[in-house]
Amino acid sequence: MAQGIGQALLETRVHDEAGQFLSGSMMDYTMPRADDMLNIPVDNAVTMCTHNPLRVKGCGEVGAIRAPPAVICAVVDALHDYGARHIDMPATSQKIWRRISASRQHLAAE
Amino acid sequence: MYDFAYHRPASVAEAVKLLAGDPEAKLISGGMSLIPVLKQRLARPSALIDLGAIPDLVGISVTATTVTVKGRTTHAAVAASAEVRQAIPALAELASHIGDAQVRNRGTIGGSIAHHDPTADYPAAVLALGATVHTSRRKLAADDFFTGLFATALEPDEIVIAVEFPIPEKAAYVKFPNPASRYAMVGVFVAKGPRGVRVAVTGAGANGVFRHAAMEEALAKSWSPEALEGISTPTEDLNNDIHASREYRAHLVGVMAKRAVAKAG
Ligand SMILES: Cc1cc2nc3c(=O)[nH]c(=O)nc-3n(C[C@H](O)[C@H](O)[C@H](O)COP(=O)(O)OP(=O)(O)OC[C@H]3O[C@@H](n4cnc5c(N)ncnc54)[C@H](O)[C@@H]3O)c2cc1C
Repeated sequence: MAQGIGQALLETRVHDEAGQFLSGSMMDYTMPRADDMLNIPVDNAVTMCTHNPLRVKGCGEVGAIRAPPAVICAVVDALHDYGARHIDMPATSQKIWRRISASRQHLAAE
Repeated sequence: MYDFAYHRPASVAEAVKLLAGDPEAKLISGGMSLIPVLKQRLARPSALIDLGAIPDLVGISVTATTVTVKGRTTHAAVAASAEVRQAIPALAELASHIGDAQVRNRGTIGGSIAHHDPTADYPAAVLALGATVHTSRRKLAADDFFTGLFATALEPDEIVIAVEFPIPEKAAYVKFPNPASRYAMVGVFVAKGPRGVRVAVTGAGANGVFRHAAMEEALAKSWSPEALEGISTPTEDLNNDIHASREYRAHLVGVMAKRAVAKAG
């Protein structure tokens, strides 16, 4: 889940126009850390597989795959009044500020 | 890393002599900024002069009107000092948020201000409190100390001995950390005290730490977050990088300044 939240809010590869990798060290590439996370209660909702006699299926990276849509949907919902219907990952504070200020300027111009 | 000679002088006088005798030599204090530069082969000093064996470069002393921190005192020692917490809580708190525990246990105030990284925290405290930097040859006012990006008024053979902070009536520092490095993307230190009302901004300026004249004027008239409403920060001389544009930094300067004034009370 931390990995998924990192993808949604923090992690990004940045290249300049010449292709030079700009977020090449941990001083520039933002990995989620322990203090970026909260305690998340984990529960199971069991659904039997109907396609094999064991009624089980393998799966992996449940948290990493589900976390980005959940977080981004929450961000877009929070920015709904500012006209946001979509936001590219990662939703950094700068991106959210841009979204809000663009919408305010738009409103001020009306 | 390239090869270098290593000296461990036992006094400031000996360190100055070594430094004056070899223009390619460099002082090393906590090594938290210098070692990474050496590891990446971005510098090639002929010798490192380690300040670690000079006993009178470490310590904190507090009088009724000043807090003096010796040059080789670590961030952790300043953060943990009951006397600093009592006299200038904002200074102890600033030190407690520098880097991580390992960096705070090695890094020193002298190294931090001599390096003058544009995103370092201490320069904001030194400038906003109007501190005096005591060196091996003179006393420098904070306003004359920081001269540009990674640049200070220090001569090549000059050593920071101590930083003397006048105790303010009110002060606070608020930092918006760079999410990856935790250095200041923008940090604002506000102070009201014997040197007047002063606002210093770090992390944002392309030439390093700077004072915000418009905010100082407004706060001198009325010390309140509302007094800063509508004051903007010109973007020409601000940093622009993959983490924050000039415009976003200018916005953050305003927000951090208001929070700092509210926190100072
Ligand atoms: C992972 C990491 C995170 C960090 N995060 C932060 C942060 O959030 N905020 C922040 O402010 N800093 C941060 N730092 C930097 C840290 O605070 C360093 O301690 C500081 O910048 C340099 O102090 P130093 O004692 O390690 O100096 P050194 O690395 O030993 O020296 C730095 C420079 O100063 C010179 N110098 C050292 N001492 C003196 C002296 N007494 N007189 C004259 N010149 C001297 C040296 O010759 C060298 O050029 C971080 C560092 C790391 C590695």
